[in-house]
Amino acid sequence: MSSSDLIEIVIASGKGGVGKSTIAASLAIILRNSGYRVTAIDADAEAPNLHLVLGIDRWDRVIEYHEGRIGSIRDDKCIYCGYCYDSCAFNAVEEKDGKYIINPWICEGCFTCSFVCPVKAISFKYNVLAGHIRIAYKTPYKFPLVSSKIKPGRPNSGKLVTEAKNLGRSISGGKGVIIVDAAAGIGCQVIASLAGSHMAILVAEPTPASFSDLRRIHKITKHFGIPSALIVNKYDLNKVFVQEIMRYAEKENIELLGLLPYDHAVPRSMAINKPVIYAYPNSSVVKSIIETSNKLLAILRNWENWKLKHIPEKIEPFIPIIIKPGS
Amino acid sequence: MSKIQLSVTGGKGGTGKSFVATNLAVLLAEKHDVLLADLDLEAPNDHVLLGIDNLGNKEDIRIFLPFIDYKKCTLCGICAKICDTGAIFMPPKNPPIVFPRLCSGCKACYYACPYGAIIEGGHVIAHSYLTIIKKFNVMFRLLTGILRPGEEHVPPGLAIIKRKARELAKEILLIDTGAGAGSSISIALQYSDLVIAVTEPTPLGLHDLKSILEVVNGLGYRVWVIINRYGLGPIDDHLKIMKMYGVEKYFKIPYSMDAVESYIRGIPVVVYNRDSIVSKSFYNIYQVLEDEIL
Repeated sequence: MSSSDLIEIVIASGKGGVGKSTIAASLAIILRNSGYRVTAIDADAEAPNLHLVLGIDRWDRVIEYHEGRIGSIRDDKCIYCGYCYDSCAFNAVEEKDGKYIINPWICEGCFTCSFVCPVKAISFKYNVLAGHIRIAYKTPYKFPLVSSKIKPGRPNSGKLVTEAKNLGRSISGGKGVIIVDAAAGIGCQVIASLAGSHMAILVAEPTPASFSDLRRIHKITKHFGIPSALIVNKYDLNKVFVQEIMRYAEKENIELLGLLPYDHAVPRSMAINKPVIYAYPNSSVVKSIIETSNKLLAILRNWENWKLKHIPEKIEPFIPIIIKPGS
Repeated sequence: MSKIQLSVTGGKGGTGKSFVATNLAVLLAEKHDVLLADLDLEAPNDHVLLGIDNLGNKEDIRIFLPFIDYKKCTLCGICAKICDTGAIFMPPKNPPIVFPRLCSGCKACYYACPYGAIIEGGHVIAHSYLTIIKKFNVMFRLLTGILRPGEEHVPPGLAIIKRKARELAKEILLIDTGAGAGSSISIALQYSDLVIAVTEPTPLGLHDLKSILEVVNGLGYRVWVIINRYGLGPIDDHLKIMKMYGVEKYFKIPYSMDAVESYIRGIPVVVYNRDSIVSKSFYNIYQVLEDEIL
């Protein structure tokens, strides 16, 4: 085992649909079967799918997550001045048939409109149910799954991801490996997933779109100083382009963990709600997943050394572009 | 001529939103003035799929950022209390400190301060680009929003770029949203005349289709569904969900390597391989759009 008690590994990709959840599920199962204590966290709150890949459909505990407010305009008080419409930074105020309404699928409840309203026509519903954290303690895989799910149309899914991660960490007891399945993109959910993590496994497929998003997500892991590894999924879709991605990885000191072939076994296993490594153990993709996992296991055994070698040399500073008043 | 807003979304990532949006843009541009707006600020790819290396007309997307007028500040702490994102920190007996990265630019602190001690500054969280695409025998405009890596707040940046898209559009505004089903997707979808949700025949596609249809239903917009990579798995449950949420029409795009090849080359499949079964599906979708919406 490694000298560190807890290693938190985030599976991220920038682009969606490249195989994060399939890879996260497979790695979690193999690490557990290799003797590690494992906790899995689905940090894609807007499209949580890890439980589906694992075939988990029952939760032992569901925690309600309340966050934010939703404003509404009292039409009997409204004088149709439109100040609220002009002031909302989120386009949540709409003009409909000459009346102003607040779109509850957009409003975050920041109060700005109520400050500018001259007749106090805006009131708020507080402590809105904004999502759930679902926990399956008992799973066929002998590791727990913590899954975040934002209520469709609610903001700040990143905050919910942070809550889910904290819960996952406490369930892990500060030991073993935490596998975090991150959302697509590079925004608040993904930043919340990466904050405080030890390793990022970036997943890409050999397409220009995925490569473009890989470079964007890698910028974020560099901001956080997190050492990164790479899995190229569906590598046989374009073997020439794989070379380009591999050159990038080498230049950027991202360790290549493995190349996975495109295999119909993956969608077929999803259709029967069974992880591909159990549904099609002899498939070519599973063979590659096992090789990839062996490489990850070797990294974990040699964690401190690997970490030192792969921490980004220069932590890319994040400098916000700020415009001073009056300029 | 009135403007029409068509929005391509899907919930799950990688179902083919940008693939559908770019192909439809090329087809629609033959007869119409099209503005394609890539509103996936976190992972914008429409230009990549169109093989465009250089985006044009870069503009800063600037949101509000509070600055403190120390002469007026009484250390009351109201600004820190009103802030939902933790961007204003009140150290004991000292004036507030602002963390730009955490600020969503909502401006509540500015209005809440009873002493007028907050001054308006700005913070560039994203950039927008307006590119004229003259390729594939058509011409249309592409508006691309790109979040600065490291910035967290997508909704306020998206809201600005969406307003811009609505102003710039002349005839058809074709929107491509990001993955997910949170409030930023609602901002992208707002004011749609028709939403086209792209899904795939897997339980994952199904699960996320349900979330996005919930949003579209809540917003009250018309919705069609495209089942991409048709043939990969069963769609019976997709059809049930679609019925439940009042999906008016659905289309199938068969799974085919033609789609992958065109995608990798940065050429829309309707241009790359006109005879492909994938292209034929797009012609059909286009024709139905032409007959029923435009």
